[in-house]
Amino acid sequence: MEKVLITGIAGGQGRLLASRLMANFTVCGVDWAPWHGAPKDMSVYSLDLRKRKFEDVIRTERPDAIVHLGMIRHFKGDPKRRHDVNVRGTKQMLDHSVEYGVKKVVVVSSGYVYGAFPENPFYLDEEQPLSASRSYPEIRDLVEVDSLAGAFLWKYPHIRTAVLRPVNVLGANVSAMIANYLRRERVPTVLGFDPMMQFLHEADMTEAIAQALEQGLQGVFNVVGPGQVPLHTAIRETGGRATPILEPLFRPAIRMLFGAGVVPWPPGALDFLKFPVTLSGKRFAEATGFQPLFGLAETFASLREGRS
Amino acid sequence: MAEKKGWLDAISDLAGGAMPSAVRDLQTEIADRVRKIPTHLNEFGFDAFGMHPETASSQMLTAALAYRYYFRVETFGIEKIPSGGVLLISNHAGQLPFDGMMLAVSMLLEGEPPRLVRGMGEYFIPQLPFMSWAAERGGNLVGTRENCIALLEAGECVMVFPEGVRGMNKTFDRRYKLQRFGQGFLRLALQAGTPIVPIGIVGSEEQNPGLANLESLGKLLGMPAFPITATFPLLGPLGMLPLPVKYRIHFGEPLHFEGKSTDEDEVVQRKVDRVRAAIDDLLAEGRAQREGVFR
Repeated sequence: MEKVLITGIAGGQGRLLASRLMANFTVCGVDWAPWHGAPKDMSVYSLDLRKRKFEDVIRTERPDAIVHLGMIRHFKGDPKRRHDVNVRGTKQMLDHSVEYGVKKVVVVSSGYVYGAFPENPFYLDEEQPLSASRSYPEIRDLVEVDSLAGAFLWKYPHIRTAVLRPVNVLGANVSAMIANYLRRERVPTVLGFDPMMQFLHEADMTEAIAQALEQGLQGVFNVVGPGQVPLHTAIRETGGRATPILEPLFRPAIRMLFGAGVVPWPPGALDFLKFPVTLSGKRFAEATGFQPLFGLAETFASLREGRS
Repeated sequence: MAEKKGWLDAISDLAGGAMPSAVRDLQTEIADRVRKIPTHLNEFGFDAFGMHPETASSQMLTAALAYRYYFRVETFGIEKIPSGGVLLISNHAGQLPFDGMMLAVSMLLEGEPPRLVRGMGEYFIPQLPFMSWAAERGGNLVGTRENCIALLEAGECVMVFPEGVRGMNKTFDRRYKLQRFGQGFLRLALQAGTPIVPIGIVGSEEQNPGLANLESLGKLLGMPAFPITATFPLLGPLGMLPLPVKYRIHFGEPLHFEGKSTDEDEVVQRKVDRVRAAIDDLLAEGRAQREGVFR
């Protein structure tokens, strides 16, 4: 049986993926946080990806494949630490993969790397420039991670490397920024703007990662769900109430509150509430035959169930 | 789920009650036609490009009223529109794009099946509050190459005015004289492999006679043009309202072109000239047929 190592295994997506892969792979994993109640026969190491111990784990476990989920995707902590964990952590993972003969790598990037701009075409394909940091410098680490993985893909063609750029993932287990935003009772929006947004159920995301791994996919792929609705429809369907705010008030308020550490949303995130970042999932669907099982209504319901 | 009605709904209900029956009938007709548009909708009623039929219907009402009662539009040869992806190319005039609106209404009310014309908008539209989503729900997108190709490949009907601002703000002495055509639309048709339907719109070129176009003043004000007409800027924004000219929309035979979107300028220009000549013929035919500008 092939052995797969999952970074960020203790997070919501990591746990789902570990359970999905257990039948066909020997699964082990690493995470900053411990996973209490992990399956007994699964080795889970609590560590920092930037430290020596990560290499030790790879040397002893000798995984055939690595799925890289271990990134900080929120803004609750020190931004410098976030940047370093994400970029240097990814670099270490890629270096160790070469040194210890890993045959497959799946890096879970983000659809946000394209950036939210008024001139975006409605369907962004994988060839579009990664411009997110122009208006949203706080996520330049994600752009750097994606670029590192892309360069790795070309430099080591003998390693099957897949870079996945999923749309907004929702579910009871994942706690992505968009999910936390939609889970609020009153959801702030920008008055006069209602961009189309794409969503993907966490179980479908798990399946997409598993298929990329099992099929040894090589390349960069957008991963798209069952479709798109305007932001305000998504807010209504996930059980929240939209509160439109005038942009000239909203932007300085966010800047102030973020600076003071009151809200975990950088001002750059506001553009994602104004302009669409809708992706074309054609390449991934054609390469894998992937089709999301969950419709939009079920995807929204999964978040409502997560509310309590 | 029963929703509580707010005072805005109450007012619109009242207004609905007071509406002349002709308006209500037109509203029903538009809604019926919009339902027959051959576009796939998702479970929440949006198409693959953010279009929402109910919103599009309500946006169409004013234009449809102008179509029936103000411009009294007549169409000729609308049955020539092929099914599937198609580029509609027409002349452009009249200071404000009523020609585009009337063409869109004609395709909805008289096309079989009804089609929702997709407009390719300016880059600043997504940055305007309310306009940003209103344009998208109505079926329009920013005029990028990618958007146009995606719409055509999805079997939609896209409207392009190759004269652009040059046409819209031309002066009265140049009415029905087609201005220079860009080549972009033809390269798009070649890339998407879709036919082009040439269209001649008669009437629009007399709706607001332009005396001059102070382009540099327009640039200073951040506008693409600054037309001087008999009524603008004399009467302020009201001066931009069109005269009640009669519109005649003449649809030509679909033109199919072979070639690559990367072909040399001269090669593409010959094809552009064919489209232009076809529109010229349609305009001449339409002007010969009519009895007057207002009849």
